[in-house]
Order: sequence, then C-alpha cells, then structure tokens
Amino acid sequence: MLRVDVFPTHQQNGIKFRRGRALPFGATIVPEGVNFSIFSRYAASYELLLFKKKEKEPFAVIPFPEEFRIGNVFAMTVFDLDFENVEYGYRVDGPNNPIEGHLYNKEKILMDPYAKAAGGREIWGIEPDRDNLFQHRSRIFFDDFEWEGEKPLELEIKDLIIYELHVRSYTKDRTSKVKYPGTYAAIIEKIPYLKELGINCIELLPVFEFDEFENSRISKETGKKLMNYWGYSTVGFFAPKAGYAATGKFGMEVDELKNLVKELHKNGIEIILDVVFNHTAEGNENGPYISFKGHDNKTYYLLTPEGDYYNFSGCGNTLNCNNPIVRNMILDCLRYWASEYHIDGFRFDLASILSRDQNGVPMANPPLLETLAFDPILGKCKLIAEAWDAGGLYQVGSFPSWGRWAEWNGKFRDDIRKFLKGDKQVVREVIERIQGSPDLYGWEDRGTTASINFITCHDGFTMMDLVSYNEKHNIANGEGNRDGGDDNESWNCGWEGSTDNPEINFLRNKQIKNAITLLLVSRGIPMILSGDEFGNTQFGNNNAYCQDNEISWLNWDLLKENNDLFSYFKNMIAFRKAHPVLRVTRFDTCHTDTGYPEISWHGTKAWNLNYDFLTHRMAVMFCGSADKYGTEDDEFIYMAMNSHWEMHEFELPILPKGKFWHVAVNTDMPGGEDFWSQGEEKKLKDQNKILVGSRSVIVLISKNKD
Amino acid sequence: MKINFEKRKGVDIVSLIGRFDGNTASSVKDETMEQLNENTSLIINMKDCEYVSSAGLRVLMIIAKTLKSRGGSGVLVEMSEEVGDVMEMTGFGNIFRSFKTIDEALEFLQRGGEKC
Repeated sequence: MLRVDVFPTHQQNGIKFRRGRALPFGATIVPEGVNFSIFSRYAASYELLLFKKKEKEPFAVIPFPEEFRIGNVFAMTVFDLDFENVEYGYRVDGPNNPIEGHLYNKEKILMDPYAKAAGGREIWGIEPDRDNLFQHRSRIFFDDFEWEGEKPLELEIKDLIIYELHVRSYTKDRTSKVKYPGTYAAIIEKIPYLKELGINCIELLPVFEFDEFENSRISKETGKKLMNYWGYSTVGFFAPKAGYAATGKFGMEVDELKNLVKELHKNGIEIILDVVFNHTAEGNENGPYISFKGHDNKTYYLLTPEGDYYNFSGCGNTLNCNNPIVRNMILDCLRYWASEYHIDGFRFDLASILSRDQNGVPMANPPLLETLAFDPILGKCKLIAEAWDAGGLYQVGSFPSWGRWAEWNGKFRDDIRKFLKGDKQVVREVIERIQGSPDLYGWEDRGTTASINFITCHDGFTMMDLVSYNEKHNIANGEGNRDGGDDNESWNCGWEGSTDNPEINFLRNKQIKNAITLLLVSRGIPMILSGDEFGNTQFGNNNAYCQDNEISWLNWDLLKENNDLFSYFKNMIAFRKAHPVLRVTRFDTCHTDTGYPEISWHGTKAWNLNYDFLTHRMAVMFCGSADKYGTEDDEFIYMAMNSHWEMHEFELPILPKGKFWHVAVNTDMPGGEDFWSQGEEKKLKDQNKILVGSRSVIVLISKNKD
Repeated sequence: MKINFEKRKGVDIVSLIGRFDGNTASSVKDETMEQLNENTSLIINMKDCEYVSSAGLRVLMIIAKTLKSRGGSGVLVEMSEEVGDVMEMTGFGNIFRSFKTIDEALEFLQRGGEKC
C-alpha cells in the first residue's frame, strides 16, 4: 500500500523534499527517497549539501526549514535521489565561542557522524586534493546484504584462539601471493591457511574509516612517506575503511567486508574489531573540521573549563564517551556492526577513557560500559578492553566488568617476557599468569576468560624481534628513536639484529617456542600476533604505526624459511584444543576426584616449588578429571619451565597406577623433533625424572599405554 | 545502457550493453522481470557490460530470487574478469552459474540447468 508520506511538500531547483523523520540518525533509504537526520544541541541552522560522487561543488544546497527541526534534530526526506552516485555533507551555523566550547563554522562542510560509508579515501594511498573543502564525504548504502542464513558463531570465549592482524599488512607484500593484496577480499584467500594454523578468531586492527594521510610526512632518515598506517584515528564510526576494499573504488566496501565476515563464519572463524572510541581524527584546536567538531564540539568532546580539549588519548582530543548523546552514538554504532555486519566482538582501544565522566574523572560504574555489558543486541558479543589510557589510568584487573568485560592482560605479557629472558623474582607472577591471573580476575564474577593473554601484539616487538633486539630501532619513524616503548623486556640472545650465527638462531627459535608454549598452555584466552608463527620481523621497529612498507608488511617467504616455527605453533594450538582442562572459565585448582589437585606446582623436586630459591626453574601440573571435562580418561599435563642458562634435572610427580608420562613437547630439540603430535607422544624411558635443557620448556602428558 | 532481448532454442537471452549502475538498474530490472514467466530459462549476456555497480548486483540478485520463486533457472555468460571478481568479492559470486559462451550456457540450460 502506498504511504501518504511519499509525496514531497517542498521543492528547490527541481529537488523535491519534505520534513523527515528524526530517527534513525544518519541517511536512511525510505520509500521514494532518502531520510537525512542530524543532531546538534547548539546549532542555529543546518544545510544539506548534495554532491555527485567526487565533485567539488554540490549540485544542491538545501537549508533545513525551521519546521523540519524536532528538538535538537534536523530531519529531511529528499526524493528521487540516485543515492548510489551521491555524496552528502552538512554546513552548520551556530555560536563560535571557544571558551564556551562552541566552534561552529558555517563555511565548513561536515561528514555525517552516522555515515554508513565514506568517500574521499576510497583507494588507499592516492594523494588527496587538499584544495577540496569536502575531504571525507558521507555516502548512502544499501543494507540488504544476502547472508544466506549465516549468523555470528557465538563460540564460547573460553575456546577462542585470537589472531591479531592488520588488513593491509597481512597480504600487501608480493610474497602473500593473493590477487588483490592488502584488502578484505585477500583475507578470504588466506582462510585455508588460518584453518591449517588452527586459530578460530581474527582480530582486525581498526577498520572504521580513517585518513591514512593524517599527519603524513616524509621521513628525513629514509626518504619514505610516513602515514597514519594503523588507523587508530577514526573519521567515521559507522563506515568501513574503504581503502582496505579491493572494490572500494566502486563504492562496494560495505559488501566486501560483510562477505569477508560471512566467509570467515562459514569456516568457523570469528571476527573481532579493534574499535577506537577514545578520540577522533579531528585532533586539537588546530586539527581539521571533519565532522563532530563542527556539528557539536561541546557535546562530542571532553573540554576543560576553559574550552580546551582534554587529551587523555595522547592524540589531541578525547571523545566525551559518558555524555548521553555520545553514549547513545557508541551504542548505535556497536549495535550496527553487530547486527548488520555480524561482528562477533570488539576490542576497545584505550578503553579506560570510556570510564571517565564528563569532567574526565574515572567513575566506579561508568554508564557507557554498563550499557554495553547489558545491551540485548550485543548480548553474545565479546567485549574486550585495553584497560588503560594515555592519561595515566591503568585498570588491568580493575576494569568495571559486570562479569562481561575481558581485558588485554598487559601483565601477562610483561611477566612472561621477564621470565623467559631469565629475570629473577617473577615466579610468583608466572604462577598467577598460567592460572589465568586469579590475582587480577578472581572476584566480581570474573574468571579466566577475563584475561586476554598475549606476549606480542601490534604494539611493540614482533615475537622474532623480541628475541632479536635488546633495544627498539625506530629511526625510520622520523622521531629520533624517541617514539615507542622502552620497557620491552626483550633479549637479543647475544647479537643485536639478524645474524648467521646458528647457535643464536637456534636459541631465538627456542625462545619463541618457549613463549608460545607458555601462552597456549596458560589458562585465559590466548592471542597471537599474525606473522609470529613464521618469525616475521619488523627489523627492531616496535612502533610501526606509520610504516606502509616492508617494515609492516608480512613477509610470507619466511613461512618456508621458518616452517619449523609454523609447525610448532600449529601443534601447540592443536594441543590446547585437545585439552579442556586448559580452557576453563573458573579458577579451579583444588583437589579433584582423581586424588590430585587440578593445578599443582613443582620445582626440580616434585611437589616442592621453592618460591624464594628456584627463580628460574618451575613446573606446573594440570589434572583434568574425566568426569568433569568429559574426556575418555583423566588427563595429566606437566610443563617444566627452565629459564636458566644451564640444564637441570626435574623430578616428576608420580602418576596414578597404569599411567605413564609421554613427551609432547621439548623446545630444546631441533625442528622436527621438538614436538610429537597428538596420539604420537613418546613414552619417557625414565618415569621419575627428566632433563630440561637450558632455556627450555618440556610438556608431558599422561597416557595409559605402557 | 542498452538492453537487448532475444530468444534462442526456447531460452531467453538478455544482453546488457554499457554500464549497469544506479541509473539503469531499475529499467533493467523492470524490463527483464517482464520476460520472466513460470519455468523461464534465462541467459544474461555480460559481454558488453563494462561495469556493474552495487545497485546492478542487487538487480541480478532480485532476478535470481524471482526466477527461483517461479521455478526457472538462469546463468551469466561472457563476464569480464573484473566484473566476475567484484561479484565474488562482494558476496554476489554464487547468485548465478557463469559460462564462457552462450553456446555452453544453452547446452547447460537445455540439459535442464539447475534451479537458481
């Protein structure tokens, strides 16, 4: 039946329009037209500007008549738009009084904060026309992707093995051998590889539209262009990064990303997005007008009493996350990604900012975080916080969670790194980390799954660099090597950088295997940095945020060169999947029906870990009861960790009668002999003790076979 | 864009010539839908179609769904590599089976084809 509101009431130079609907915000395709709705609390008037794609001058400028405003929302339906070929923006008039926080400027053309797609940077790296007043251009998109019955996987968080990757870095290098390098589509080509590796969740660095040319400059040291490569600087929260789509030049990035999600799900792999709500790309008072600043500066940003930007993000501004309007925008945004893109979870960059009130003060029960924890549409999404910010707030272990929020566990990274390089006095911490960090998450209905365990991530050294460099080597970033962290807890194994020395290279590979073993045997959710499984290097750069070149791009030739590492990672992932006692939600350590505790700690003497003395030698034994975990038989896993530079003998705990220790992993052995795959584990000749090589890890499992 | 219709060996062939985008999607949809009856066999000839936009892909999807609902079958022929890649990458790759030539498509459809 025809609706009565499909008839225009106004006309201007052939463009027909009428009063629109206030909700939903943004541009929505409605019968016969497009509904535009935009909020501003302090604006005096609004104009809608319509452009043909890529053109500098609008073909229509339509002022919103006063009767089109409801409350603080301006809404208009425009008829007969060829919306596929249209870009739109707004001009807003209102007070310009920086001390009061108002920066309205009616000359600026602004993107819609709710734009579902954005033009202007649709092909990565094409130098923008700086004279164009409208750089980031809102677009209208069909939300009618054919999912063919596919839906989010809803894997249990305890079973996740997360793999962090940057869309462009992952396949941009020619060695990736994909058809459209550096794109969403290319990741689909790598799905068979991901399945072989065994991970079941990818986490993408930011894919909300950003400007790779933000602060772009030429490095004095290398002469290469430096870019906003990682994209932790959002231009549009609802729009996917068009430059990551092979079809971005045709304006089809929305479908391409959705198709990636669909293909991942078909193959049993979830997808988590790294989302950046703590600040925007508009910088400080000297930054550009892209959107928020011009629509309603005072609402969208945290401002000092003098009207200056608070800078808790370290990036010039701070989004006013606990303002009710902004809170709703963030909720709308996440609901959109969860429902329209079937995204399985979100990792929140500098999430502690989301817990600050409108004066920047941390809150005990931040309404935004509580809303997200209980939202019905996000009800099955994983919520992961980077639980700190650049304003000094560090909430690892204390991030408000309501039993829903997990955290990037930075302490896991630091403690395991320290232990591996041979530091003393970290045994107590390592005990906590391996158990899933009960010292951090042992209360408030949290569990091991609150801990996202990682040793490496995009931020910092790759795993190979962690064992190849004592110091960061960030000269190419053009900041005099001052950028990037200095507290890397890395050790180069005797030589700074790459070397032909076989002993050093053997030790480095061994240290990587030690690290991934500890990561995958520990309780909590493991996260692996893409490329670590084949020894990818950033040549010592621990902050490659600006490097759109071989420093960041994964070198897939290393997969062949370091195939033993890949095999080892694959084996350890399979090992974790095979043993449910490692994948738990609760911190169960106590006695079981087997007569053994679920987790016990040992030293070179069984049942006798000397916390004060044995700083480099420790062992853990997991006992998984068959009744509790539904396995065929009770399972014992024993992991001996020797971070000392000398070999040591470990006395083994005695197994129940009829069970025998078998070697699953020995990192001191050369590639090919360093692990025995499931079912092939090798029985120990001496069931009472085992020699653990210098800086080595051995994992044993119990089997009934004699 | 120009649209040509012909019938060969009982099969409807629609040839799309030019750019298949938002400007032309509606007319392609309307004119093609008029040809669809119960059990229609349809070949969409993409030989001279230089570009398919998002709106164009959606029209293909709608045609496929309509054919399915009416017990018909359809295929694409002579699609350029780029158009094929775009369809694949945006999730429209499995709407229609694709053939290199009209003859191959005719043979397939005359053997009974397959439902969309």
